[in-house]
Amino acid sequence: MDDPSQRLLRQLLRRIPAGNLKTTLEKWGRLTAAQWRTIDFTQTKSSIVQMLALCAENEFTMKHITELEMMYVIDNPNKGMWYAFQLIDPEADSQSLELTQFKEQFKSHLCELVRHVSVKIKKHTDEAVWIRIAWGDSYSRPNHLKPTYIVHHLQTPYVFVTGLSPKQRPLVSQALVLSSRYHAIKAANLSGRNLTAIRDLLMKQYQQVFPTRFPSPLSERNQSVSNPQIEREHAGHKENRLQMASETFGDGMLPQLQSSVYKLETKFRDRANQTMTEREEPFKCVVKFASTNLLESLKLCVSSGIASTPVTPLLSSIPLKGRNYFVITDNGPAPSSQMPLSQN
Amino acid sequence: MGKRDVQICFRFRSGTPDMEQHRSSGARTPLNSALVQRRSRSKSYRLSYRSCLGAPSRLGLTPALTARRLNTSRRAPKSHNISEKVSVEQLALLLKNEWKLSYVTPLYRFRHTQMRGYSRQLSAFIAAEKHQGLAVDVEAAQGSFRASFSVIQGMTETDDDAETILIQIHSKSSFPGQDEPQRALWSGWLTCVYGNPEYLNSLPKDFTCLPLFCSSGSEVLTNAVKSWFQLTFDCCFGPLEISHTSLQWLVALWTNCHAECNIQHLKMIWSVPVMPPLQITYTVDGRDAWELWNSVRRDPQEEGEGGKDEEEETGSNIDITEVERFMQGLKGHFYRHFRLDLSAGSLKQVSTALGLAKCNGRMKISNSKYMIATLTLLTECALLKMPM
Repeated sequence: MDDPSQRLLRQLLRRIPAGNLKTTLEKWGRLTAAQWRTIDFTQTKSSIVQMLALCAENEFTMKHITELEMMYVIDNPNKGMWYAFQLIDPEADSQSLELTQFKEQFKSHLCELVRHVSVKIKKHTDEAVWIRIAWGDSYSRPNHLKPTYIVHHLQTPYVFVTGLSPKQRPLVSQALVLSSRYHAIKAANLSGRNLTAIRDLLMKQYQQVFPTRFPSPLSERNQSVSNPQIEREHAGHKENRLQMASETFGDGMLPQLQSSVYKLETKFRDRANQTMTEREEPFKCVVKFASTNLLESLKLCVSSGIASTPVTPLLSSIPLKGRNYFVITDNGPAPSSQMPLSQN
Repeated sequence: MGKRDVQICFRFRSGTPDMEQHRSSGARTPLNSALVQRRSRSKSYRLSYRSCLGAPSRLGLTPALTARRLNTSRRAPKSHNISEKVSVEQLALLLKNEWKLSYVTPLYRFRHTQMRGYSRQLSAFIAAEKHQGLAVDVEAAQGSFRASFSVIQGMTETDDDAETILIQIHSKSSFPGQDEPQRALWSGWLTCVYGNPEYLNSLPKDFTCLPLFCSSGSEVLTNAVKSWFQLTFDCCFGPLEISHTSLQWLVALWTNCHAECNIQHLKMIWSVPVMPPLQITYTVDGRDAWELWNSVRRDPQEEGEGGKDEEEETGSNIDITEVERFMQGLKGHFYRHFRLDLSAGSLKQVSTALGLAKCNGRMKISNSKYMIATLTLLTECALLKMPM
């Protein structure tokens, strides 16, 4: 086993937490039963050393190691920073794109653009196409230690990317556009650590609540009053708030978004403060909302009254438009295709 | 000790009341429970800080508001070229670390001239503690510790303030003859900047008041240093949190400095109590924050009336109402966009290019020019929080 493969394997084994190592290797299935028995999974360091020895024995190449890495990443996608992109201006036949066509075209386009590049494409069970790219250039072989992962759901215009540097972005964009039969690609202004969360948010794969004229079913959700003699003064308001919060943000398990950034460049308007209101320049500020589950926090803010209803479009745009980076000017939200890749 | 609702009025006798007499009589026959007597070694009794603020109470008058709060009006921070007075290395150390704040009660029989003796005693104390099986850093476990006390000259402005003391703990390197300067494992300093002169003067002669204690380094060493101080000088340490009001003061004071020194940005971190907790970071451009601050400083009633003299006066003094108007302006702008009232949350952290302050009692000074103003505020907080 050559040196780069060993390095990648070592890095990968260190990355995989001890609990997942056994299951991942089992799934990989390339070790024989006898070799399997020799590895002691309780000791991390020694198991790594044993693994290295076994892989050398089996003469695994880079191809096998990258296969293992890809399998691990597909099963644990919620690490690293993912950025969402959207393909726009579809051609007539973009919906009927077949997997094999897409695979061939993407590979050929990317190899045309970059001299030394290693591309691996795999289709996952849930209709997502996973692409792993290791970048090289005219002078060096592909660097497998810093791969880029791309996830594309074929019948949708959404693409999720992680580990992509600004220099590589135009290459990937062009390859994607050409192979998927759209005309352009733009940043969707959505990013997060949790791939499943941003995917669910964009494609609305979580429990939606629809406006209803009769919110009384909600009373089942509220804790029922034990004493019927007690009348809750604010019961109606509370139900309304809860209904509005659910309509805006959804119900059940909400996608785990971590943050939302607003770049405000609006004028300062305050009736009590004449000086600032007469000012011509905008009041520049940046507001960042952060939480372990941002949508859950915002929903609770609305239902508890901390945020007034109706929910302001700035906050409701997060689930509605599936974005978490906004530039707000006085003329309405500015379209921002410029998203810094090095956020957070 | 609750708030008083009843106001008892006594007639004044003509003639100037003799402060000395009244003070001693107040000490022996306390008129109200606000006076706290400390059982100290010396016979004379010290008056509590709060009773000094509420001077009329000793004469029998009960003030309508118990004076147990921060000053409502402060001098606007002026740029102090402190680098001219304080040594460069010491200043660099003060600016380098993020400090954990505590308050200290006055030290009994602390002498600025016995720095060497204290260094030896503290080193011995820490060695003894280590011997008793105190958990120590792995890296420092090889050598023993060497403490050094020094005085930071030049930080005090008035005669009442005691000179700042700097304490550093280095590890004695196991290889003798190393020329490179040792990095301090632990640093701490005690200071008093513009402390309340009435209170400082009311202390008996043997007590030195350095109420603000800043430490940076391992918790174990901090506790060792505190224990030594408590044993040697019969004092008391306690955690000093920076209250919401103090953080708002820092917002205003630092923004006020933008005219002379670019604060770059005003960053505030709020925490909203929902589950899971929501953190809101509100960063305002430096210049825009300063313009908003300026616009709330001019009293709307006085606009157009005040001449140049009045402007001079208002310029140098900042009132709490102006601070509140500034915060209201910032919160209002936020509300207009997000319809979320920041008052429902709590202000946790404030930072500008001049420094950083967290509500859990951590602060960092990044610019030496305005640090006197920051330290004045923190000294006041420490004096107020002291149980004495």
